[in-house]
Formats: sequence, structure tokens, C-alpha cells
Amino acid sequence: MRGATHTRAIGAGRHRPHALMQHWRRLRRDQLGVFGLVLVVLMVGSAILAPWIVPYDHTELMTGGRLAAPTWDHPLGTDQLGRDVFSRLVMGGRVALQVALAALTAALSAGLVLGLIAGFGPRWLDSGMLLVLDAVRAFPVVIFALAVVTLLGPSLWTIVLVVAITSVPIYARIVRTQTQSLRNNEFIQAERALGAGTPRILAIHIMPNVIGPLLILASMDVPLVITMEAGLSFLGMGVQPPTPSWGTILNDGFNHISNSPWPVIAGGIPIILTTLGFTFLGEALRDIFDPKLRKDV
Amino acid sequence: MVDSNTPQHGGGITRRTLLQTGAVAVIGGSLMPLSRAVRAAEGSVLHARAYADIGKLDPGFYQNAYNVDVMNCIYSKLVQFKPGREWDWELQAAESIEQVDETHIRFKLREGIMFTGGYGEMTAEDVKFSFERILEHDSPIKGDWAALDRVDVEDTYTGVIVLTRPFQPLWNITLPYGAGHIVSKKAVMEATEDGGDFGMSPPCFSGPYVLDEWKPDQHVKLTRNPDYTGPADVGFDEIRILPMDDDKTAEIAYKSGDLDYTHISLASLKNFKDSPPANTHIAEFPSLYYVWLGMNLDHPKLQDKNLRKAIQWAVNTREITEAAYFGQAKPSTGIVAPGLVGHREESLIPPEGDPEKAKQFLAEADTSEVSLTIDTLNATTWKTMAEVVQAQLARVGITAEISVQDSGAFWTLGMEDEGDRWKDVQLIINRFSMVPDPYYATQWFTCEQVGRWNWERFCSEEFDELHKQAVEVGDPAERAELYRKMQDLMEESGAYRFITHEANPVVFRETVLDPSMRPDGRPLYRGFEPS
Amino acid sequence: MWFFLARRLGLAAAIVVLAVTLLYLMIHAVPGDPASIILGPRATPELKAALRAEMGLDQPLPLQIAGFFWDLLHGDLGYDVFSDRPVSQIVFERLPHTITLILTSIAWAAVIGIPLGCYSAIRRNTLIDKITGVLSVSTIAIPSFVMALYALLLFAVTLNWLPAIGVGEGFLGRLTHLVLPAFAVGISWVGYMARIVRASMLEVLGENHVRMVRAFGMPERRIITHYALPIAIMPTVTLIGVGMAHLLSAAVFAETVFARPGVGSLIVDAVDARNYPVVMGCVLVTTGLFVIATTLADIINGLLDPRTRESL
Repeated sequence: MRGATHTRAIGAGRHRPHALMQHWRRLRRDQLGVFGLVLVVLMVGSAILAPWIVPYDHTELMTGGRLAAPTWDHPLGTDQLGRDVFSRLVMGGRVALQVALAALTAALSAGLVLGLIAGFGPRWLDSGMLLVLDAVRAFPVVIFALAVVTLLGPSLWTIVLVVAITSVPIYARIVRTQTQSLRNNEFIQAERALGAGTPRILAIHIMPNVIGPLLILASMDVPLVITMEAGLSFLGMGVQPPTPSWGTILNDGFNHISNSPWPVIAGGIPIILTTLGFTFLGEALRDIFDPKLRKDV
Repeated sequence: MVDSNTPQHGGGITRRTLLQTGAVAVIGGSLMPLSRAVRAAEGSVLHARAYADIGKLDPGFYQNAYNVDVMNCIYSKLVQFKPGREWDWELQAAESIEQVDETHIRFKLREGIMFTGGYGEMTAEDVKFSFERILEHDSPIKGDWAALDRVDVEDTYTGVIVLTRPFQPLWNITLPYGAGHIVSKKAVMEATEDGGDFGMSPPCFSGPYVLDEWKPDQHVKLTRNPDYTGPADVGFDEIRILPMDDDKTAEIAYKSGDLDYTHISLASLKNFKDSPPANTHIAEFPSLYYVWLGMNLDHPKLQDKNLRKAIQWAVNTREITEAAYFGQAKPSTGIVAPGLVGHREESLIPPEGDPEKAKQFLAEADTSEVSLTIDTLNATTWKTMAEVVQAQLARVGITAEISVQDSGAFWTLGMEDEGDRWKDVQLIINRFSMVPDPYYATQWFTCEQVGRWNWERFCSEEFDELHKQAVEVGDPAERAELYRKMQDLMEESGAYRFITHEANPVVFRETVLDPSMRPDGRPLYRGFEPS
Repeated sequence: MWFFLARRLGLAAAIVVLAVTLLYLMIHAVPGDPASIILGPRATPELKAALRAEMGLDQPLPLQIAGFFWDLLHGDLGYDVFSDRPVSQIVFERLPHTITLILTSIAWAAVIGIPLGCYSAIRRNTLIDKITGVLSVSTIAIPSFVMALYALLLFAVTLNWLPAIGVGEGFLGRLTHLVLPAFAVGISWVGYMARIVRASMLEVLGENHVRMVRAFGMPERRIITHYALPIAIMPTVTLIGVGMAHLLSAAVFAETVFARPGVGSLIVDAVDARNYPVVMGCVLVTTGLFVIATTLADIINGLLDPRTRESL
């Protein structure tokens, strides 16, 4: 990633207000982006407001027939224990969001620290760390996750840990590259000549320029993280009953697939909406802020 | 000439009648799935599904009904279960067999039954060896032959089974089932040196089929026995038994043509009836299996009887059968199913339980926060039951976590010689298979079975006494009383909550096979014929 | 050139060594007795003792790891005490099914994705291009196991056109059993390939030497097929290498949904049973595959395009 030519003036990390309006106007012109934004607001909003908007208690059994098709009472039908699928999916959104937030925060923090160290430190540390990060990246993600689950047992926090670990290498690399390209900047050299210590330089000058692209990348990773959690829960390695997760709802639906298609159909919908929403939005944002982040160029 | 191995039909219910009296479904005739068209070119192959993979091929040490299903095909025994709707037995390897008196049974083998591998003809010596070794090597299923003293050999084909005391279950569960199979003394002694358990490596066969291939977790392949001395054109060229512990997988496999015979889950029964797959027959059978919620009496958390009673009263078995079996199964009263001697009309705690009473017991239990684990098998119905129990316990204030185990781990959970997990078992949802004698159920809950199959570690002297008594009693009414008392004892200990006996719906493809089943719907593959 | 090759292979080897070490160390990172952790819940005292002796778990850590590598180099992936078979046998008898699935998925994704990307580049900003663009992003976003479930539901369970379970027998049988799983695994790749081919096509078509050839009157068609396409396809090679990891992960789900006996479903079953030796065997084999794929892709790319050799 060539970010050297795109840093803001070093030391001045603030946007002027009307630049923000410019960004907003550009976003509005991107139809797909707007669509994505709407979806994201919808999904995140319903996850936050979940306890207040669900029509039924998502753990209550036998609210109306088992594996029932959608009706006005149960817009997405019921699952094999008679629980309202719509309520479970909305609550499942909370779990997805929790995992995404926790995992990404952890991965970002760790990635930031490691990347700064690698980028600013001596050459051998950089090479060594790169090698370790590449080694972690050598594992296919889901398969690595399964190995960890075998050792730690399935649970929500195992998923968070696994997702965080598998995301760190990418973030660390980006931070490292950015840091490295900045460290030889004239301004930085000047500060060093004046005697400024490494932590100060890192914190005040390097970090602000690094965080921007990082956050954008992280937001584009949200669909990936949610997919990981849903996928692992689908395999039975994630959250345990009775906590609802989109993945476990799909798993339950899968187990009864020959009896009723509705839980499977219903379970896929929030995943699709969320991943599409974040992806469209992410692409639009990236196009606005830094087209050079395009991964396909 | 009468063939040595043909079973003699006693003039009872034939297979054709079976199909007519079973619940019949309309035969659909929709588009044939691609895979069926592709497979049509093979020889006569039966694709059947078993609930579990085989774990043992030594009939003296069988573990469960699914081992026995395969043993039925590859070995011979004196008598076998008669297929049909009523429990009965018929001659197989024996030319004649009679109960001389209460403790003596004389049998005469048919002549000319050959073992494969050049191990010669089956003789009374082999019968003696096969039965006595079960006690000699302390087999886990020695309860099936608990009353055996010895087998006396009179001549090459004749012998007398000598019992130490009268043993009613012998005709129901021992001779026609797993422990009744006859193995070759010569072959087993060669293979094992001391005549003990030969595990998964049978040295020779004597049935209409031989074990061709076993791919663990994939299939068991049986092919025609070239040395079989029975009629040559009977049965299939090949039987493939595919283990699937998940009903959903089996149902999809059946619908897409990969299976021709399987039992299905009660939850899917209605769906199958509403839209039956092509050429399918649905037959419903009552089941003898018993499902229950057990509690580990030796676990520190479960020492307080009030807590156990609270759990018993919190569990609503009617709700469980509604949820897990879609109302197609009834709540049970014990381990003895309706139709068998010893069935209880009512349990001490009503099926609905009573959450209020449960809360009262919990209050008296003097434990502030209770958190327990429920172990269950990794199959849909079991997991559903566990989730319902979890929700019901939550209603009265008990938190429970579900621990799902795969079959390898689950079926060894409470066994002392398989690690230390038996110590951690708290609540467990379990199900045992059954044969038509109540003795077969109660034998697993004796003191002797603690650390083997008795995972609740329930040990009552009174229970054991009654259990010993009941096998000798001839009068059915008296016997029934004893078995009812035993189930009362189990329930009173607080460690058991009986859930259901399930039911056994079976589907099979009429155009491929003509099946042969026990009155509880379990398959007798030996008698399956191509249609 | 040879230097490049040597460097790339050396890097690959270093990564593999490190990855394997990491995997082995994970056992010791978890609190508890390593033998219990490795054997999972079914460990009896005898089995644990046997394992400790065989793997040398009582030895100092560096010796253990060295021993582990020694075994690996001899093709010994450990022993599964529960099914009484060497792990390598278990894994390698299932590997062909997974590889078939992955190759088929890539094949159909390439067959559809590359022409689509081409066409989008040529007919830039037309309706087709825009639709392809949206579809590409969508298929990349939607998780493969959701696709798999929907495909199973529609084509196998509801319409009954295609088989739902297993790998099938005979050539035709295997083919029909591959259709749905390959569809599910490959669908996101159509999107990836289309995007990459489109972008690099656009880049190539705008370059000077192409413009020159066009000015000399060469028909557009020939330009595309003889000049632009071969160069535009190159990034897809790297993509396949890097994407092998995604494909392996997607295969895990496809094999679970369609009950195919491949390495993916093997690892899921092994995780269920907490059978770490088998899990580790699967991870090692799939990681090895992944590293081989990326290295090969990088080498091919390096051979084809001298520019990329610099970026090591």
C-alpha cells in the first residue's frame, strides 16, 4: 500500500468542517453506498434497540407451533422449539455486533502496537515480526479457528479471540508499512534532531496518520468478522444455547431443513443484509477517502 | 432337501401382511433424482442407514443394537426373532430346541452349517464355547446369560444349556439376540489365544453375508457369503449400512435416493406423510427404547435430595415430547414400555411436573445459586430435549449449560475405565435400546453396572434383590409388580425423570426392497429381500 | 532468476516451520496437562501414558518440537488412538475429495469470471458492466455457507434436481454431487476474478504499446485476445494462490452442508470430538497446501512478469 503521498500535514490531524460536507456529498452520489448506509443503520440500529423491538421473548418456548411458516403473528415463522424466529434473529444481531466490536477492537489495538514497533524499530525486529505474522497468516482462517476451538472449547469468547488473532497480521502489516514510510519524513527527522523521544513521535505524529486508513480497513472487515462468527456458530463451535446467534439459528434450521425451509431462509437474511450493507458502504467510503486502498489494483 | 440355514416359518405373520397392517402411505411418483438413475445400473445393493457405527463385532461382547444388526447377518444363532407385529422367535441354526425343565434346555443343531475360512462345521462344542466365554471373560453383557451354569455337549450336534436357576428372559433377549450368536471355537481360539474379545476382527463367518469392508464412520459393507450353505439366491448381493446419527442427514439422503431404508425422526413424520418421496412406504412402529433425564448421584452438586426433586418437578415431559417429537411421542412412566410385562401405568411425578412444587423443593435445598451441566448426544432430537430442559430449569431458577458430545465421547461418558469424565457428569439425557423383556432394562441400573452403564451411579440393595427375584418368577402378574416397584425405587431416588419411549417410523423404497422388521420396527437385515 | 526462486522457496520453508511450531506450541499454551488436552475428553490414564511416551511430552520443549519435525519429515503426522490409525492415513484418504471440490470451484469460477471481467472492461460503464459490478461485490460479501444452504434448500431439498449428500460414485455420479458444493464455494470467486480481470484489462488497454498497435489498424478483437488478455489474467494467478486459504475455509462449510467426506468435514468432526491429533494433522496438511499454492502462484507470476520479482 502506497500511502506516502497521501498523508495529511503532519501534526495537523484535524479535518476542516466543509471537507466533511464534501465527503458527504460525494457519498450521496454513490447509490450503492447510500443503500449500504441504509442497511448498516438498519442492522446496527435494530441490534442496539433489540430488547425493545422484539415482539416475543426470544427464549420463550412454544409461542405458536413448531417450524411454522411466516404469519402476521410471527413474520419469520417459528423454530423447532416454537420460539419466534424474528425475535431470535434481532437478538442475534446483538451477538454479532458484540463479537465484531470486541474482536476488531482487540485486533486493531494489537495490530497498531505491533505495527508501530515493527515499523519504527530496528530492522531485525521488523523482519522477525513480519515472519511471525506471515506464519499466522499461513493458516486458512476457519481451519485455524477450529484448532483453537479444539483446545479452548466452544464459546463466544473463543470466537472473539480467534477472529482477533486472525485479523491482527493484516492490520499490523498496514501500520508497519505506513510507519516505515513516515519515519524518514523530513519533519520527523527534524523532531529527532531536536531530541524528541520515540514514544512522543509515535503518538503525536505517526499514529494519527496511520489510524485513518486502518479504521477504514477495519470497517470493511466487519462483514468478514460477522461471517466468521456466524460460520463458526453454524458449525457448533461458537455461542452455546440458548444464546441466539445467526449461525446457530441457521444450524437449527439446517437440522430441520427437510421439515421446513423457513428457518434457513430467515436465518440467511440478516447475514446477507449486514454483509452487503457493510461491504457497499465500505467500498463507497474507500472510494472517497483513499482509492489507493483498493485491493484489486 | 432342506437347507441347513433356512429359518422355518411357524405360520405366523409374513412380510406381506406386515406391509398391509403397517401404516401405509400413498406412493408418489415424481421425478427420479439424478443419483438414482445413475445407480440403477448396479447389482442388487441395499443401502440402509444405521443410527450408529459398529464398534464391536464379537457377539459375546456386543455394545448395542446396531452391532447386533450386523452380527445378525454374518453369524448364526439357534433361534432368531420372528419378523412381524408380535414378539416371537423361530428356529434358525437349531433344528429343534425345547425347554426340558425350568433349568435345562436341549437343542439340536442342523447339520452342515459351515464356517468360512475352512473352520469346518458348526457343532455343539461351538455353542458351548460361544455361551460360556461370555461369563468366563466377564463380558459387560454377561447379564444376558446371568443364570448360565454351563452347556453340556451330548453329541456332535446336540447339547443342553444348564441354568443355575430359572431365567425367564432367556427366550426373549438372550437366545434370539446378540449373546445368542454362535462363533467358531477353533477360529476364536486361534485369533485370541484365550478365547476372549476379538473386537473388530472376526476370524470367520457363518451367516448369509460376510463382512467385506468397514470404513469407520462411512459404511459397513456386507457381501454374499460364498461358503453359505443356505439357499443361494436369497437376499442382496451387497448390503451397505451407513451410520448417520443425525436424522436430518438420513432423511435428506433418503429423499435424494442415496438410501433405501431408514428410520426417520418423529418430527419429520408428518412431513413425510404429507409429501412422500417416490415409491416410498412409511411404516409406524411402537418403540421399546426409553429416554430419560438422569442425575449423577455421586456428584457433589447433586447430593441434596431436595435439589434433585426440584429438578424432577421442574421438568415437564409433555412439553419435551411436544417440542422434540412434535407431539408424535408420548411421555413415559418408566423404563418398561407399554405392552411389556412390568409397564407402569403412572409415574410418581405427573408428566407435566409442577414448577411451583419445584421452587418449593429448591427453596428447601439450601443452595443459593445452582448451575449444572446437561450432557447430551450430538443429534438433533437430543439437543432439542436438552434445550427444553434447560428452559424449564431456568423457569424455576436453575441455570443449566448444555454440553453436546459426539457419539464417541458420549457413549463412554460414565464409564470408569474410559477416563475421569464420569466424575463430572451431572445431568444427562440418555436413551437405551431395548429387547422385549423388562429384565433387559433393569439390569443396567444395578449396583454392578455402576461405572459401566449405570452412569447415575444408582445403587440400591432392594433394587438389586427385586431384580434377581424377578427373573425367576413365572407368573406375569407377579413379575409385573416387581418391575413396577423397581421403577418406583428409581424415581424415588430423585435421580431419574422418565421422558418417553419415542416411536419408530420407518421409510423404505418398495421398488428396491421387501423388508423384515421386529415388532418395534428394528430391522432384521438378514431377511431383507430385493423386490 | 534462480536467486529469486531460492529466496521464495526459502521464505516458504521458513513460514511453514514457524507455522508448525506455533501449532505445536498452542498445546502448551493452554492450561492443563498436555496429554489430556491432546487426547481430549476420552483420555484414559493408559492412553495418556502411551501418548506421553510416544510424543516425548516429558522431554524439554525444544526437543519435543525437534522430534515433531523429525516425524513430519518422515510423513508421520501422529497417531489417532481412538480409531487406531495413523493420522496421515485418515487425512490423506479424504484429501482427494477436498482437492476435487476446490479445483472444480476454481475452474467454473474462472470460466465464468474471466470472460465476465473482460466483457465488463471492454463495455465499460454500460448496464452490463454496472450489473456485473454490483453482482461481483454481492457475491464476495455473502458468506459461502449461506450460499451453500440456500443452494441445498432450493436445488436438492425442494426441487430434488441434484443430490444433497456425499460424493457419489462413478464419474457421472461424482459430477452431479459436485455441482452444488462447487457452486457454493466458487460463487464468490466469480466476483473476485471478474473484478481483477476488469481492472487489469482496463490498465492494459490504456497502455502505450496497445494504443500504438491499435493506431496501426489491428482489429480490436485481436488486440484483446493476443495482447490484453494474457497480461490481464496474470493477477488471477496470484489471486488463486492467496485465495486458496479462503477456498479451504469455504470447503469446510460446503463439506459440512453437503456431508462430503473431505478434510473439511473431517476437521469439524474431530473438533467435535476434541481429537487434537487429527485436527492438527488436518491443519498441517491444509496449511501446507496453502503455502504450496501461494509459493507456486508467486513463482509463476515472477516468471511471467519480471516486475513482481522486485517486490519480495
